[in-house]
Amino acid sequence: MSRFIAASTARGARQVIDKADNMLKGALDSLGPDAPVEFKDRSGGPTAYYLPVIYGYLGHKVEKVGDLQYPLDRAKSLLAPEPDENMWLPYLGETLDAGVGTLWAEEIIKGIEFAQGKQPEAKGDFQFNGPIDDGQLRSWGIAMVDGSMPGFAVVIGEAPSNQAAVRIVRELQARGQLVFLSGNVNGRSVVDQLLEEGVDLGYPTYTVSFGSDTESTVYATGYATRAAFSFGNVTPGDWRRVLLYNKFRCFAFALVLGPMDDVKWATGAGAIDYGFPAIANTMVPHILPTGVTRYEDVISEPWDDIPGDTNEKAKRLIDKCIEVRGIKVTIPQPELPVTYGPAFEGEVIRRRDMQVEFGSKSGPGVELLEMKDTDAVEDGKCEVVGPDIDEIDFGNNPNTYFACKIDVAGRAMRDEFEPVLERQLHNLSNEVEGYQHQGQREITWIRVSKKAYEAGLRLKHMGDVFHTTFHNQFGSIVDKIQTTFYTNQEDVEKIMEYARDKYRERDERIGGLKDESVDTFYSCTLCQSFAPTHVCVINPERPGLCGAYTWLDCRAAYEINPRGPNQPVEKGKCLDEAKGEFEGVNQFVYDNSQRTVERMTLYSLMDAPMTTCGCCECNMVLIPEANGIMIVSREDFGETPCGMKFTTLMGQIGGGQQSPGMMGHGKRFVLSEKFISAEGGLRRVVWMSKPLKEELKDDLQQRCEAIGEPDLMDKIADGDICTTVEDLVPFLEEKGHPALSMESMI
Amino acid sequence: MALTGIQIYKLLPKTNCKECGYPTCMAFAMKLAAGQEDLSKCPYASDEAKEKLSAAAKPPMRAVTIVTNDHQLTTGAELVMYRHQKKFFNPAPLMVRVKDTASADDLNETVEEVGNYSVDRVGMTFTLDGFAVQNDSGDASTFASCVESVKSKTDMPLTLIATDPNSMSAALEKVGDSRPLIYAATKDNIDQMGQLAKKYSCPMVVKSSDGLDELAELSEKASGAGVEDIILDPGDRDLHNSLVSFTQVRRLALRKFEPFGYPIISFPGEGASSVEEEVNLAAQHIAKYANVIVMDSFSPAIAYNLLTLRLNVYTDPQAPIQLQSGIYQVGSPDEKSPLCITTNYALSYFAISGEVEATGRPSWILVVDTEGLSVLTAWSAGKFDADGIAAHIKQFDAADKVNHNSLILPGGVAILKGETEENLPDWKILVGPREAPGIGGYFRQNAQIWEG
Amino acid sequence: MLDSIKFKLEVVVPEVEIPKEKWTGRVREVKIGGKGRKEVVVGGATAMPFLDFEGEIPNPPRVAVEVRDDPSGFPPGLLSSWGDDVVNDVGSWAKKAAELGAEIITLRLTSAHPEGQNTGVEEAKSAVDKVLSAVDLPLMVIGPEIADKDNEILVPIADLAEGQRIVLGNCVENNYKTIAAACIAANHIAIAKTPLDINLAKQLNVQVSDIGVPLESILMDADMGALGYGIEYAISIDERLKLAALMGDSVTAVPIINHPGPETWRQKEAKVSEGVPESWGGYDERALYWEELSATSIIHSGADVVTLCHPKAVEYIKSMIAKLMGQ
Repeated sequence: MSRFIAASTARGARQVIDKADNMLKGALDSLGPDAPVEFKDRSGGPTAYYLPVIYGYLGHKVEKVGDLQYPLDRAKSLLAPEPDENMWLPYLGETLDAGVGTLWAEEIIKGIEFAQGKQPEAKGDFQFNGPIDDGQLRSWGIAMVDGSMPGFAVVIGEAPSNQAAVRIVRELQARGQLVFLSGNVNGRSVVDQLLEEGVDLGYPTYTVSFGSDTESTVYATGYATRAAFSFGNVTPGDWRRVLLYNKFRCFAFALVLGPMDDVKWATGAGAIDYGFPAIANTMVPHILPTGVTRYEDVISEPWDDIPGDTNEKAKRLIDKCIEVRGIKVTIPQPELPVTYGPAFEGEVIRRRDMQVEFGSKSGPGVELLEMKDTDAVEDGKCEVVGPDIDEIDFGNNPNTYFACKIDVAGRAMRDEFEPVLERQLHNLSNEVEGYQHQGQREITWIRVSKKAYEAGLRLKHMGDVFHTTFHNQFGSIVDKIQTTFYTNQEDVEKIMEYARDKYRERDERIGGLKDESVDTFYSCTLCQSFAPTHVCVINPERPGLCGAYTWLDCRAAYEINPRGPNQPVEKGKCLDEAKGEFEGVNQFVYDNSQRTVERMTLYSLMDAPMTTCGCCECNMVLIPEANGIMIVSREDFGETPCGMKFTTLMGQIGGGQQSPGMMGHGKRFVLSEKFISAEGGLRRVVWMSKPLKEELKDDLQQRCEAIGEPDLMDKIADGDICTTVEDLVPFLEEKGHPALSMESMI
Repeated sequence: MALTGIQIYKLLPKTNCKECGYPTCMAFAMKLAAGQEDLSKCPYASDEAKEKLSAAAKPPMRAVTIVTNDHQLTTGAELVMYRHQKKFFNPAPLMVRVKDTASADDLNETVEEVGNYSVDRVGMTFTLDGFAVQNDSGDASTFASCVESVKSKTDMPLTLIATDPNSMSAALEKVGDSRPLIYAATKDNIDQMGQLAKKYSCPMVVKSSDGLDELAELSEKASGAGVEDIILDPGDRDLHNSLVSFTQVRRLALRKFEPFGYPIISFPGEGASSVEEEVNLAAQHIAKYANVIVMDSFSPAIAYNLLTLRLNVYTDPQAPIQLQSGIYQVGSPDEKSPLCITTNYALSYFAISGEVEATGRPSWILVVDTEGLSVLTAWSAGKFDADGIAAHIKQFDAADKVNHNSLILPGGVAILKGETEENLPDWKILVGPREAPGIGGYFRQNAQIWEG
Repeated sequence: MLDSIKFKLEVVVPEVEIPKEKWTGRVREVKIGGKGRKEVVVGGATAMPFLDFEGEIPNPPRVAVEVRDDPSGFPPGLLSSWGDDVVNDVGSWAKKAAELGAEIITLRLTSAHPEGQNTGVEEAKSAVDKVLSAVDLPLMVIGPEIADKDNEILVPIADLAEGQRIVLGNCVENNYKTIAAACIAANHIAIAKTPLDINLAKQLNVQVSDIGVPLESILMDADMGALGYGIEYAISIDERLKLAALMGDSVTAVPIINHPGPETWRQKEAKVSEGVPESWGGYDERALYWEELSATSIIHSGADVVTLCHPKAVEYIKSMIAKLMGQ
């Protein structure tokens, strides 16, 4: 870290501690050791937790002047020498310690000032607030815990102009942030600026003035400590938990306006201990992520370098603060001219009811979600390049072009989340009444109903929908989102080409993932509400049996909701490579199936196969007569060679049963190299539901070729060829199906 | 350890002869594995197969049947401790005890009242299941004629309660082809009672007077003597001990401790100091492991309560209660009353009818057959759609019930509004609240629709 | 011949060895009340309900009695069992409930319901005050179950009863943070309520504890319908939750609360005295049994606290619990 900051902090800490030392000596003389010391609120009432920072760190109660000696001595012991000009060692720890000493000394100073009747400070007619009273602390504390108020901002110093001061405070208020004010630059402060502009300060406007000096900033860390006592179940002296509580639960930061000085640096170092980063609007060295705060400890955003007018500068400055502190802002449902909700998912808009169609027969339709650098994304922006719905005369010219390009940025975003989030577009847009979304990627197909159009729905509204829903549902990975729709030929063709490259890259990434290359599989226990002993285990080469979850999806789901139904399953020791039996999987399944399923293999149908919940896409069933298996898919209502229809089969094995010879699975599992590899894989398939065979045709042909059976597709019967085992076997014999000559399955 | 379908398949002839009623041996094997079929349906099963299967398939608890001319009352054959593990199979028969010391009039009255009792719920009719006639007089002929008299008035299954084998014998003479339940063989009379049970092919209770060891001993004695259909009375009567001993017996049965592989009988009245306590005990026994329950108290309110509880407890968790489709009434609705629509998933209906009830506004509720799926599930499965709604409106003549021609759709399926309007051009389709608790507010806000 | 066979059979009778479940978990004990109020401890079991031969049942299920500041939602048949003078004042109602053996008072703030009288914070505080000063029993306060309204009135109530460890409900999936925070700040107990789904129940416990409510200060309400109205779901959910807790799942090892009383008295069987089938039996008897059986079933399934409504139900259920505890 910066030697400059370390040196400045060391000097500042010494300065404050010396001041406290002198004041304490004076107070012991003039007031005596038994004079009471107490932080009082504005009305003169007591506040809880003594001098809270000292009490939180040291468990030491300060009730009278004499009690101040101990924390002062402790503060002195934290002082390290200023780093040498030429030879400097890592001193983050020393700097942070100096910050802590500074906070204690500042509390000592304020404590003495209270004892002397000089606090809360008065300046002319203006009465500063001083410490926040207990009732207000509790009520704001609840708001912080329940998330309606993300945290607080301590604004220290003087803004570049009165207008800037007002705009900065307004921007903070607009984000629900509580604003604390302290410090000055050459005697002038943000408080003065706000008062001059007629801004009301006080609890009702969420702006609290602590004092005109930097030392009064300690009321902010005092507030944070008291919040940890009230809401964090923290005991006095348990400083570690005080700090962790604030790092993870209290989204506070310091915004230093105007030049820094040693005392500000030292106080800032104390705040960093609490996980509160500092943002300066002047040129200062950065402290890049150290782990003490969530991201950077200190960031410099020089006011003059921020583009735009004062309003724009203020907005961007506060955006940066919010980002650095990792604050997630919940955005209310978008204002839409139509209704929004899950009931409209699956809504079908018929041709005669539609205002416009994109994709399908009307022209190309593509959607792409990409991760970008945070500076390249303007959160909430939605642009329509080309005509919007109201500018398209679909009736007379039913040729359209459509590309939906979404750029997201997020500190926790990773490129492998792109397809997971992109897939959400389907659900999210379908919940809009009168907006039908089908397909994905380069076969995106959209219809907008006449009714929705008449109600005022336009493409730009969809940007709002994506903005709010991504923030609210995927806020843990998405910080910013921006949407651009393109509806002209040239742009759409360009994006289509670009997107195809991206898709190919992604497919290679997912397709390239092998079970052997990961240590962790994922569980899905979403279905335990009706199949209480069912545990789905999802590995890279086997999607969930409902077909909706791949390994990557589960991993993303786990990151988004670490306590959700998708949990990591350590593979553990491999007990049987061919069958895919793992110690870790067995243990996990046993523990999570109410101790009913003791073993579960991943690649075998005959030995301890996966249990089946109720939502599998397909069922595979042993056909002993054919020495192979049949696969029936959910959309097939007909009879099958095993003598049972899909629904009858579900009655047999659904609900979490483990039945060797029968197993539910997802459609795409058929294409996996691990598809019942213990029993010989794809060569065992003797019959498939016609719709499934059709759907997988091309991919399946590829797999057949890959395993050296290019003609296998023709040898696999389907519902059009036969639905009884009596007809099946002769067919297989005639075609020379490989299963007939394989090792017996039973 | 139960056999898997594959293991069973290996034991079958593998001829796919279809005589069992299934198209393939594999399908039949799967049914056998699930315990939903009996090997006897396979005419070609080998002795080896029979032996292995019966050994593996012997249920942990025997099904015992009490027979009269027209009734067959089967109890037992339970497989689990908790209903969520699979389900409870055979609802415990509820019998009412009468005594041979009662006056003929009292006896007649009770038999008539209990015998005629029936109650409708969710479109099904429930009755009590029989009588337990007790030899209180100690006299064999009094008992015999009392049994004969009950038998002449009802064909419901009987339990005969006597300690004296002579009384039992005399009564059994009078029951014709019926096979009542003999209560009870104790350590003092088990030999004679056992002989009676065998002679008349009746199921028999063994009753312990000294804990589970004695119960096991008596059970073994009875089965050793050739009595196959045994029912157990562990002898505990009070709330705490009956819960504990019934739990232990059921648990041991499921762990294949053979002496306890039979149903349990309970007498809640004997452990209770009041009618209320008897009812509470009966409730405990319905939920916790009694397979035959003999009540001393009867009233329509008690019967309705206990039958409802039994229906609930024995509901298959995988197949929730469904209602018959149709138009149901809440209160006494008329042509101005609201008409709501929902699915035949009983919980959906109850949620709505409960809220409608609470509004105090009599209403009609049209229940659409969605195979027991809830509103959103049925809708997404395509089983609750505009066509179905229109068909039900017509089938049940909803237009004759109300004059406002307004139909309230559940808010969750607002999407069906347009299509339903197309299907029912004469109707106004209203979109109700998403959740049932919103009905009160919805009715208030839209009161003018139904108040003209 | 026969005798010798019988003899043999007698000697081979296997000895009855009572199998005992070896559970590893224990339901947490939650202390309700204190700071001048009576303290009631719930939970703590290491076995399924009342199976004390294989574990400990340190605390019986507790009986709470529901009083309402707007009683109009209760049927007249129930209200008359308390007396008109009593039900029009929550203080007197609570007092009488205490005399009849209530161990906890459940105050449901029905008057605050936006569709009803829509009363505000002051009325709610005054109702709580009345109950607090009328009885020294632990208190449970449940809002009108409308998210915004609950948050509005329960926070000041939490403040008002600071430190008295009252039970506040309900925290639900999309509205738990405010009530949970109020519980943390004033040292109360939160009810985490979910709709008949074991995963949701678990998840909400996690969320409420994540926000800072210790698991020792959570009761879970997995919801229930009365007898005939889906009670089988509640029976199974409670049993599954309890089994999961005993198997060592720390998150579900919190006591279960159910409200069989109020659930019963909103159903037709407990509301309607005329114009129903004769086979339903007499109204008073039927309605009372309906409540009793709803309570009995859920108590046997794992409920650690039950809220009841009818004075006689309180008497019978308490007597039943005492006997189930072997007292």
